[in-house]
Amino acid sequence: MHIQFKVISFVFYLLILANQKGFAGDLFGEIISTKEEATAFLDQIDQNKENTLWPNVKSRLFYDNLKLNLENPKSFYPGRSTNFCSYGALSYLVMEKDPLGYVKFMNELYDKGEATFNNNHFKPTKAVMNAAGTLKFKGVLDIRHAEQMWFLVLADHYKGYLNFFDKKFDEGDENTFWAATNLSKFDRMVSQMCGNHVKAVGSDLIKPWVKDVYSYLAKRIDSNIVSLYVNNRIIHKKNHDKIKFSIPTHFIILRQIRQEGNMITLRYWDYGGETEMQISSRTLKKIIFGIITIDK
Amino acid sequence: MIGHLSVILISCLFLAASCSTKIISTNIYQEHKTDLDNIERRYEKLNPTNHFSLAFTDKNFNIVSLEMITDTLTRIYEFNVTEKRLADTLIKYNYDTAGIYYLIRKMQQTKVTWINSFDYYINDLPQQLILLSIKPVTIRYIFSPPKYVALAYFRTTQFFDEKGRLLDSRRTKQVRKIKGQVFYKITDRVCYTITDKYR
Repeated sequence: MHIQFKVISFVFYLLILANQKGFAGDLFGEIISTKEEATAFLDQIDQNKENTLWPNVKSRLFYDNLKLNLENPKSFYPGRSTNFCSYGALSYLVMEKDPLGYVKFMNELYDKGEATFNNNHFKPTKAVMNAAGTLKFKGVLDIRHAEQMWFLVLADHYKGYLNFFDKKFDEGDENTFWAATNLSKFDRMVSQMCGNHVKAVGSDLIKPWVKDVYSYLAKRIDSNIVSLYVNNRIIHKKNHDKIKFSIPTHFIILRQIRQEGNMITLRYWDYGGETEMQISSRTLKKIIFGIITIDK
Repeated sequence: MIGHLSVILISCLFLAASCSTKIISTNIYQEHKTDLDNIERRYEKLNPTNHFSLAFTDKNFNIVSLEMITDTLTRIYEFNVTEKRLADTLIKYNYDTAGIYYLIRKMQQTKVTWINSFDYYINDLPQQLILLSIKPVTIRYIFSPPKYVALAYFRTTQFFDEKGRLLDSRRTKQVRKIKGQVFYKITDRVCYTITDKYR
């Protein structure tokens, strides 16, 4: 009975912790660097240098990938069947804000095996350094060695309660709880990496208490960046069972929302590009577990 | 009362753990080879012009989820196959309407729930395979997960180990997983797996 009480208390505290209402970080409020500055920085460094710290990262693929990230920041691709979607959403925000900071950080990480981004120091484990460049059958992520490095390093550094039982990277862990992200971890990552003020409603298990979700989103999308924590299994069904666990599985960046009658058209960014889909207002309410509003 | 509830819960858990879904036919590919190969060929012909994928999201194969994929935008719409909106949408975005309708009919007849292309890389060069899932007739127990047969059609000859498992390449013994699943040999370029997700 006593053990049961402890378990219930633990779950209760987790829920309270997860049910985050707001998160404040330092306020930058402006673009820190430009794509041109970042390109100029990349052009002046030796892109053929050998590196033994990252044994499986090919320098050509690494620097080609950084150039692509600058040319098309929306091309970040977290890979098929991985749990990297939150880091993908974060990349989108970082590239909006500080592309020069990103390429400088990646270059230093490649050269020295550790680097600092916006006062956050990253020193990945040996297992992660060996894994970068080896991820396969993840779509175009297979040949994007900078993105492999970036996602693995972020997942290695940031930990939330979902990572509690799997903190050490083993082969294949990009698909497991090792890489998973809960809502408060995502808020923390955005706040620390981008320095923006972040406000979130919702939680990992309970949907946000927002009466009219469409109006709430439509009101914020023009003046803020809005990220959503959604149950992707409802809109992207993977089996024909009618009863599904109601849990969030995916982070997206909302780009546009419009309503025609009962149908809502959502346009969002996730895997390397934008997706447009139509859903009913009932489904919209059903899929959203977290609404993260990030100051521009 | 709590004691009874515990017995019921434990029984349910035992049932869930001990009974897995059974697929009736063990030879689905050979039984439907002509239709399945035909679907794959038709999709391979239609897909390069305008990328798309099709999935039936209901058990009765009436609701189709169409993904129209371009470099910058993926549009996902769900239609009842009898809806005029489906044809209107295909025409609007310059898809081969007759070809896709033919594919949809064939998929319904052969119980193919999903078809999509899948890019992967060998020596940093892009390759493509086509994945399709079939909803087989199953015996399913309470709490047991659904089962689908997924087929992978490669364009080139693949390599397998002595257990028939798909390998990464000729030179390694490393098993290649697609979407976290081990695939088994049917022919030199077609392999299968049993999965609880159709995509």
